[in-house]
Amino acid sequence: MFEIEGLFIKFLLNFFSNLEINTFLRSPQNTATIIGGLIAISGALLGTFLLLRGMSLTSDAISHTVLLGIVVAFMVLTQLLGQEPDLSSPWLIIGAAAAGVATVVLTEAIYRSGLVKQDAALGLAFPLMFAIAVILVSRFVQDVHMDEDAVMIGEIGVAWADTNSHCLENCEAVTITPDSPEAEFSRQCTNCRELGIGPRDEGAVFSEQCSNCGEYSPAQAWQAGLLETEPLLIFWPKSITVMTLITLLTLAFVLVFFKELKLSTFDPALAAALGFRPGVLHYALMVTISLVAVGAFEAVGSILVIAFFIIPPAAAYILTDNLSRMLVISSLIGAAGAYFGYDLARGSVLGLFQVDAVLRGLNRAFDLKLAETWNSSISASMVLMMFLFFFAAWVLSPKYGLLSTWLRRQNQEKNFDIQVILAHIFNHEGTDKEREELAVGTLYHHFRWPASTTRRMIDQLLSNDLIYIKDGIVRLTSDGKERVEVFRETQLARETVIQ
Amino acid sequence: MKSKPETSENGETPDALVIDDLTVAYNGKPAIWDVDLRIPEGVLTAIVGPNGAGKSTLIKAALQLIPRAAGTVRFFGLPYEKARSFVGYVPQRGSVDWDFPTSVIDVVTMGLYGQLGWIRRPGGKEHEIAMYALEQVGLEDFANRQISQLSGGQQQRTFLARALVQDAQIYFMDEPFAAVDAVTERAIIAIMRELRDRGKTVLVVHHDLQTIEEYFDWVTLLNVEVVASGPVETTFTSEKLRQTYGGRVSYLYEDKVKKTAEAG
Repeated sequence: MFEIEGLFIKFLLNFFSNLEINTFLRSPQNTATIIGGLIAISGALLGTFLLLRGMSLTSDAISHTVLLGIVVAFMVLTQLLGQEPDLSSPWLIIGAAAAGVATVVLTEAIYRSGLVKQDAALGLAFPLMFAIAVILVSRFVQDVHMDEDAVMIGEIGVAWADTNSHCLENCEAVTITPDSPEAEFSRQCTNCRELGIGPRDEGAVFSEQCSNCGEYSPAQAWQAGLLETEPLLIFWPKSITVMTLITLLTLAFVLVFFKELKLSTFDPALAAALGFRPGVLHYALMVTISLVAVGAFEAVGSILVIAFFIIPPAAAYILTDNLSRMLVISSLIGAAGAYFGYDLARGSVLGLFQVDAVLRGLNRAFDLKLAETWNSSISASMVLMMFLFFFAAWVLSPKYGLLSTWLRRQNQEKNFDIQVILAHIFNHEGTDKEREELAVGTLYHHFRWPASTTRRMIDQLLSNDLIYIKDGIVRLTSDGKERVEVFRETQLARETVIQ
Repeated sequence: MKSKPETSENGETPDALVIDDLTVAYNGKPAIWDVDLRIPEGVLTAIVGPNGAGKSTLIKAALQLIPRAAGTVRFFGLPYEKARSFVGYVPQRGSVDWDFPTSVIDVVTMGLYGQLGWIRRPGGKEHEIAMYALEQVGLEDFANRQISQLSGGQQQRTFLARALVQDAQIYFMDEPFAAVDAVTERAIIAIMRELRDRGKTVLVVHHDLQTIEEYFDWVTLLNVEVVASGPVETTFTSEKLRQTYGGRVSYLYEDKVKKTAEAG
């Protein structure tokens, strides 16, 4: 990981100075937005396929069970190998991916028994694994830094503080030994604690101890004032590296296997018949999802991850009929949700207005005594923002949105009534019963409509020049005839007959 | 380009499909039992049998979509792994989600994925082939339609076009006539006949006993085991039908019995 970070940094230094990079990354907002955006993009890409496979809740299951993989890998590394891994350790990530796959395998094994339905099988498998993980954490991993808050909503807001320091120039590591000129000494009691006596008591033995001896990394050496020239240092948040790699991997997976993923999602039987091994692709998808879930675990916890997988694709599904576009749109919605979600957590709604101002207004108007500064969970605000975008798509989508569907139906109904009148005239014009069927005064009888409504429609048809009245009988103009013929052709068409 | 092997080692043309001792079981219960079947090249075959007779299972097991308990299946003398490029498959229409975000032409192009292999994407040439297949089934005007806007018959024709682009030697079609109107049924059978006339072998899971004699030249009567298989004239008899359908006499079957009785 450290070497890969080095590569990222060298690349970025071509465009920015070290000061610019450090200032940028030290802002909690920038780091949180980058990490949130990366989670949202990779989640949206994979979630698109989950949604289309009818497996949305699998992402929720996996985001919980990765905890088991993390804990087991953590225990193996600390107890057996004596290491001290953190959440960006590749071994923990591999453990988590294995747990994600195990969830899917266990679910399918329970389902295949034929005794339990698929959704229930998922509901059996993942709480089991999550429960084991919780017990392991509470019993055996006492000192691990993992509180309920972290599991619930993550710590994306402090991701900027957990950094690796990279030194690129003037990198002088300093080692101070008791012989060094910088060594500082102090007299310390060597047997006080042992004997339970104070330094002033009788029998206390003193010796000279070096108080600043040890090894200093370039960053520590500079801070301790041991260096004359400032080293070129970059403080790089660890989470960004992990999430960037996972996002690149996800992107590569979806781009390279786009055709195969599409086919095996749409028609697994044909995919298998053509030799594309939908089973292998299925597990590759699950592994990638597990990787994203573990990358997201530290940042947004295990509960809200599902939102990053499902909300953006659900919105994109309403907006487009094309899979490639669905992938792009859902990524954009996810990234926008992460960006504006951070703002929302800090009290700004899409940059349009401040929540603080609203709270102040409410206090003034109703004397509610609400706290007037708005500062809320970043991950939850990101989810809220994504849902807002979904809601907008749901209501406003030009093709399938609630609003356009409603408008279209209104329009159709109105049009339909007009077509009914036109068709009635069309059918009876020039027949023997013309006088009886088409008399202006009694036309409404034939439709069982109120006389006033019918009269209004006739007026409208007259003004649109679709009908005319002669001798008290309504007749079609040539425009009216054409309207009827077009309607018959487009709306009464049977299936195209093929030769 | 793929081509089926013209001759086997002993110099004879192998049958298009040879199934030996094929058994498939679901949870210990046989779905098809010890099936032996030989289908010669260039015939239009109906697979007929009551519900639960294992018709779809037979096709799926032949194409290795479900595990076999026992038995071998050979296509022109070759196992499926080597025959894949000249075997075409039309699954049941209801087996896919027609709300999937994709277009008609895109679905048809999927039939070419097998020839493209892993990773390679379809291009202009594939688009042309798919358009030609759509013209054959009369859906060229629907190429860019979202698939959810198709009627049942149009969906079935889309699947048929997808099989046509595979340019296979032997086709397996699982209930292509399910819930389509008479016009579409005629259109589909016309395309199947054309395939047959071009020397292809076509196996169709079929339900309507009344049209067997009119549409097909070969028939396989299946009820877990193969009851009979051969040319329609000699195999599609009332006695064999009674054996296949047992006591469950449908009105179609009675019709058939009556007809044969009248003829005899």
